[in-house]
Amino acid sequence: MILRLLAISNQTLLYYYLLCNFSYLLMLIIAFRTSIAHHRNLQSFKLAWIKEAPLAPPISIIVPAHNEEKSICISIQSLLTLQYPELELIVVNDGSTDGTLSALSERFRLRPIRAVYVSQIQSAPVRRIYRSEADPRLMVLDKESAGSKSDAINAGVNAAKCPYICVVDADSVLEDDALLRIMVPVLADPGRVVCVGGIVRVVNGSAIRNGRIERIRLPRKSIEIIQVIEYLRAFLVAREAWASANMLMIVSGAFGVFKTDLVRKVGGYRSDAIGEDFELVVRLHRYLLDNREKYRIAFLPDPVCWTEAPSDLKSLGRQRSRWQKGLLDGLWRHRQMLFRTRYERTGCLALPYLWFFELFAPLIESLGIVSIMAAASLGILNRDFFIQFLLFGYAFATAISIGSVLQEELTYRRYTDWRDVARLVMYCFLEHFPYRQIQIYWRLQGMWQYLRGDHTWKTIKRTGLESFHTPPPAEDNATVSSVAKW
Amino acid sequence: MESVSKHFVSLGPAGFVLKALLVAIAANLLLLGFIFFRRSYRKRFFRKRDARLLDIQRDWDRLISGAIPYESWRRKPFDLRIIETVVLDKLESADREEATRLLKFLRASRLIEKLIFEARQHTGWRKNRALVALGRTRAPEGIPALAEALRDRDLETRLAAIRGLGRMACPEAGDELLNSLMEVGLQVPALPLQSALVQCCSERPRMLLKFLQNSEMPVRQIIGRVMGEVAVPSLGNDLLPFVQDEEAELRAAAARALPCCDANLALEALTDLVNDPVWFVRLRAVVSLGKVADPATVPPLLRCLRDPNRLIRLRSAEAILKIKKGQAEIFHQVLAAKDKYALHAYLTALDNNGFQEMLREEITRHGGFSEATKSALLQALRIGNLHDDRSEKVKETALARAAGAP
Repeated sequence: MILRLLAISNQTLLYYYLLCNFSYLLMLIIAFRTSIAHHRNLQSFKLAWIKEAPLAPPISIIVPAHNEEKSICISIQSLLTLQYPELELIVVNDGSTDGTLSALSERFRLRPIRAVYVSQIQSAPVRRIYRSEADPRLMVLDKESAGSKSDAINAGVNAAKCPYICVVDADSVLEDDALLRIMVPVLADPGRVVCVGGIVRVVNGSAIRNGRIERIRLPRKSIEIIQVIEYLRAFLVAREAWASANMLMIVSGAFGVFKTDLVRKVGGYRSDAIGEDFELVVRLHRYLLDNREKYRIAFLPDPVCWTEAPSDLKSLGRQRSRWQKGLLDGLWRHRQMLFRTRYERTGCLALPYLWFFELFAPLIESLGIVSIMAAASLGILNRDFFIQFLLFGYAFATAISIGSVLQEELTYRRYTDWRDVARLVMYCFLEHFPYRQIQIYWRLQGMWQYLRGDHTWKTIKRTGLESFHTPPPAEDNATVSSVAKW
Repeated sequence: MESVSKHFVSLGPAGFVLKALLVAIAANLLLLGFIFFRRSYRKRFFRKRDARLLDIQRDWDRLISGAIPYESWRRKPFDLRIIETVVLDKLESADREEATRLLKFLRASRLIEKLIFEARQHTGWRKNRALVALGRTRAPEGIPALAEALRDRDLETRLAAIRGLGRMACPEAGDELLNSLMEVGLQVPALPLQSALVQCCSERPRMLLKFLQNSEMPVRQIIGRVMGEVAVPSLGNDLLPFVQDEEAELRAAAARALPCCDANLALEALTDLVNDPVWFVRLRAVVSLGKVADPATVPPLLRCLRDPNRLIRLRSAEAILKIKKGQAEIFHQVLAAKDKYALHAYLTALDNNGFQEMLREEITRHGGFSEATKSALLQALRIGNLHDDRSEKVKETALARAAGAP
């Protein structure tokens, strides 16, 4: 009986890997095609034309900031110099206990104003509103902390005056033309395109000067390099492929553009959601499909946002646990959408995929590993099966990681030093052991915490953007450690 | 070879792992080799291209004038592509004289014919690229090819044709866009079409009028919006009928265009439009009154300060502040209206523009106000609230209750 169960379990695992990796292979092919088509479309388009277009819609950039004293001024300065015809910048100081507000006030000469603030979406009370005398496009909302980033973004959405909002993390850096690029699908079809996501890349290892990326290099630590590969695979392969079929279920909280009135209509970000960015996009799909509206949620791989990735195992573990909790939370909230024809492809394909291949993946994979180890210890592990397992479970996955690195090399090529590319390729082989197994543990931990009702937000250690600055001023030579809430 | 294979078999499962490792290393090396080769090739290619570009730039005048025979580079795809790119880029920033010279060169070298051929014969992204390039040349002979592409089955091609005609930025291109719009209706997303029409019709906005009169929704709405963008004072009387149009979009467009017309005509029409039942028409009218910036606009703008729509209240306040003089009297009237939303909108605009200090000084220096009025005005300016008798009563009652009164 046990032997039979083990055999069934092993076979199931094999088929699961096979299905999972074939779906990724399909995504890789679709992503390649989409990337090429996008590149070719850009040949008959010039970004400079958007700058001079009289009808380019204005954008409100919302930057939630909590205890970002060290890097906030650099980030805001860099955002104010972004290329775009008309933008306003709303910084939401979410109850910071450090000198975030005073740093902003000093650098941008803030003065309090009595602006009309209508709390259309629920958020914690706004204490005061400031406008910059140095640049009137900058507005700062000083609000009480409600303990969530969503709440801060909601306050920003309430204050936004432009038809589109762009949510950017305070510890991220956008490339100069990122806004111009991300608005390309909106300008082509503003009626249908309700949301566009850009790519998020790992800034660790690169050099920043005055809030701009000066030199792009791969990080030194293995744990960071593996994250670079993960980001490439997630953005360049998965998101691009899902978006091409209008089934994109996540637009990164670090960089995305949304239609303001639509976000207000659906009630903004949910303060109690763990993965607020994922939850919002699923809710948008739901709302639009419920109302039988024609829409498109797009993703573009060339508007780039650089963000800092965790550089120690503990922080990375916390981040991954939280992502898994967020996934489970979002999927559970919208479980009614599953296999409902009303929700079309989203309900019948994208969400089941997320349940089966993303949410259950750590469970199935850990069960499989246990059953293989059990079979081996009982001496009944079939050699052919084991070879197939390695082939479909690891070799196939490695090929897909290499595929995403290759796509990066063939299309966007941000890593100009060929040694960086060589290291990336090498790490595609190394990421499966033992990193993958550790990640399974973190994800299982996240699920367990969620099921126990532990929704607390564990801090993730970041060094802060200022630590990537070059050349560092003498007094700031040491790496400054700040503990960011998000 | 056989012995190596035997050796692997003798290793058992370890042999398999070893084989897998060797395959992985080989694959890795192959891939890196490919990347390295590709990078080297590209580096060489770009170096060669840059060097050639430098040569071409050096001989640019001779090339343009035809001193270098066109045939010498037309047959070389590498040179042809560089020259085409350079000409199109130069055309974007050329003055009239330079543009004429470049256009003459495009015609003499038959580059225009090549682009027209590509726009007509190619398919997919090559066709789209040729269409936009043709538009960038601003050569009128390209218009028919672009107009044909407007009726293409592929949406991307139609969009490329619209972009191309937009880059032409001439009334003839606008005519083609409008004719195709009347003929086949709205077959593309509205915004790119509007942008192209704005570029093409800004020189001769009157051309829009006949299409505006003969079209139906939603085409009429689009043309109306374009009219709103490109209207000029000379259109004055022609726009007035649209103030009474049954379509709200058209009334909004007229409201937007009216500040460009005769001030008296505009003021009268806009004063009517601020009472429109549709909010965005009122909003447009308020913004336009702000552009007129005449003291005569104050009464309608003060009415709009009490509008139920938040945006209209805020825009009215901003429009009022554009009339720099007499803000103390205006503020007095705002307070007299006893509408806290109106007051809040006014103070928001005041803060946004940094005029608070200016108003305070004006109130203090004002000779027409009694001291009591001045004090009330300054207090309202400071606390940002109306002095409300009712709220005082509510407070008193609450205090009394707290003290245990019946």
